[in-house]
Amino acid sequence: MKRKILTMLVLTLFALSSAGLLAQGQEEAAAAAKPVAIEFWTTETQSDRMATIQVLIDTFTALNPDITINLIPVDENALATQTQTAAAAGTLPALFEGPAETAVSFGTQGVLDIQATRAVVDKIGKDRFYSGPLKVLETTDKSSYYALPYHGWIQGIWYRADWFEEAGLNPPNTWEDTLKAAEYFYQPDKNQYGILVGTLPEAYAEQCFTPIAMSNGAALFDADKNLVFNSPEMKEAVEFYAELAKFNPPGPQTWRARDYYLQGKMAMFFYSTYIMDDLAMLEAAAGSLTGDNFGDLSGADFDPELVKNTRIAPIMTNESPAGYGTVVALGFFQQDDPAKTAAARKFIEYLYTPNAYITFLHMAPGGMNPMLKEIASNPRFQNDPMGLFKSYGPEKMAEIIDGLENVETFSIVEGVRIEEASEITAKQIIPQMLYKITQEGMSVDAGMRWAEAEMRKLID
Amino acid sequence: MHAQIKNTGKLPPGGSATALTDGRTRAQREELLGWALVLPSVAIILALILYPVLYNIYLSFYQVNLSGASRFVGFLNHREVLGDREFWNALLTTIIYVAFSTVGATLLGLGTALVMNEKFPLRGLVRSLILLPYVAPVISVVFSWQFFFDPVNGIFMDIFYDKLGWFSQRINLIGSPATAVWVAIIFSIWKNFPFAYLMILSRLQAIDQNLYEAAEIDGAAGRHKFLYITLPEVYFVVNAIILLRVIWNFNKFEEVYLLTSNVKVLSVYTYLKAFTGAMDLGQGATLAVLQFILLIGFILFYVKRVIKW
Repeated sequence: MKRKILTMLVLTLFALSSAGLLAQGQEEAAAAAKPVAIEFWTTETQSDRMATIQVLIDTFTALNPDITINLIPVDENALATQTQTAAAAGTLPALFEGPAETAVSFGTQGVLDIQATRAVVDKIGKDRFYSGPLKVLETTDKSSYYALPYHGWIQGIWYRADWFEEAGLNPPNTWEDTLKAAEYFYQPDKNQYGILVGTLPEAYAEQCFTPIAMSNGAALFDADKNLVFNSPEMKEAVEFYAELAKFNPPGPQTWRARDYYLQGKMAMFFYSTYIMDDLAMLEAAAGSLTGDNFGDLSGADFDPELVKNTRIAPIMTNESPAGYGTVVALGFFQQDDPAKTAAARKFIEYLYTPNAYITFLHMAPGGMNPMLKEIASNPRFQNDPMGLFKSYGPEKMAEIIDGLENVETFSIVEGVRIEEASEITAKQIIPQMLYKITQEGMSVDAGMRWAEAEMRKLID
Repeated sequence: MHAQIKNTGKLPPGGSATALTDGRTRAQREELLGWALVLPSVAIILALILYPVLYNIYLSFYQVNLSGASRFVGFLNHREVLGDREFWNALLTTIIYVAFSTVGATLLGLGTALVMNEKFPLRGLVRSLILLPYVAPVISVVFSWQFFFDPVNGIFMDIFYDKLGWFSQRINLIGSPATAVWVAIIFSIWKNFPFAYLMILSRLQAIDQNLYEAAEIDGAAGRHKFLYITLPEVYFVVNAIILLRVIWNFNKFEEVYLLTSNVKVLSVYTYLKAFTGAMDLGQGATLAVLQFILLIGFILFYVKRVIKW
């Protein structure tokens, strides 16, 4: 009896192990043509944009049937957090699309595949890119890039030119003129507000604040990478920002309040060129009003004259002129499986081919501007489905795209890249400080002391 | 009761102490069966509740580094959290939030239950409509509330500022840190009172009507009937509701965070500390441990002193 059991056991073990060997052999044989699935995180979370990207993915996977790409939307404000947790869990996606600042911050944490990025830049050709955006993504030793610039926008103050003219006010190009106009148009008893600056602790607040600080010569770091946040210039900028925020719509606000402008209840607002289609297009405006937050507003009156009466002041001046814009980048996260990186590389190269690229950029004409010079002058790109290039004219559009060459951020000081500044941006310390000062009644000095302490925690 | 007597009658001579074929007594076998039945639940509780709690306590002694090795720091996190003014502010906000929302939801639930216990036309329909706030998905009602309180376009300011003039200016009630906590409290009362209402109503329906009839014969007024019959009858269910509501609201995150994002109750403060800004997971874990201790302390106190179980 015992012997019988023993024999059975040995036989079973043998059968199991040989089956295992066989399976292993089969795996090795299949490795060459093994299908690979990768994840692609995108910050284009709106459903229509997701649908366009999905179309591009479907086209790509039809040409490359062994590659599967799962598109996953990640909110821009949550990208840093999600990445940290995914890195800790070892589940980083192969690809992501997000702001260049965030990409640099990832790069300094060592979660990006810089070799793969470098290879793609070389393959496309460095000279075909606009040099400004590429510089933003350069590694400290200038040998490679943290990610690839894919599209970008510039920001400015959009304002009611007709109201300004009627009131005899100067356009909001300087601190003085901006404050004067904000104060003049702030008439809360008529439900009309002077300006919109971000006061909720979100990325938008820092986007509004950066050109103000830059135009006063304030910086986070000097060229020797010393934290110089607590400077008289920075304090002036914070004080000026807090003063502007008094002419905001009530309470803490973020970019969603741009709808008040579309309703004729606000004189100025900081915004990117993404607003252009909303201003120009009746349908687009109605879609925007009904989409995010204001479901009941589909019946709100749209002012067809608004696009004519709206102008942008892209440069803010006090001590010196400063502009602001953001480059959105495509980056590779480190993968254990080289097949995944190879698949991701293939997909990114596809995204830079003219047809795919232009389809992507046409998701938001005006908002998404190309990073390859030849695409900007491509007639197909200039013939967008909304007719935006026609209504604004190619010169104005060219001006906007050229503005991308002069994108300034806290993270490049005299040509030196400061990774810590990107880290500070990614962790939204400045927006939190602005919220404390404008909404919680904290003094400017106390707010800046708090922010400096938080920044030091990140640097050390 | 009858069934029990019948069963014991069927037991073999000697009762449950008799040894069966496998050498175990019936009592022992039943004990084993009992363990087998509860084991899956115990395992799930251990894995999903006890393990995270213990791991959380463990984390609170470390400076957690997500991309490298964590460092043991002893009670440093605890000292830092207790010395942080923001922690005490968050605790105060939590106490205000929990106290007002619990009392409010319970009282409103009690009142509604008393009214719904009376007979009137379409009572069935009204009874089910009242449950709506409780069953509606939190995200959809949060958006309607946000729109309702929007300072520029919302209905609330339109009525109370434009039409009635109760406010001297348009105020962002749901956004401003000073008022947002009260909006969150009213929201919580509105969203959760149907639970209290449901529990109390079912208890009310079980009260013996003879008690009221007897009281009426003795000449008791409505007030006396409520004080001496209704209230003692619902005493335990009301206390149980208060206890549950305190536990739930003390840990409440989604209702508060989605609605206003700037009412820093302990759960929201813990999230902000652990997952935003400098992402201090060690201090986040410490906050969660403190929250746990506070809650357990309250439960023990309430059960022993107030409910006297």
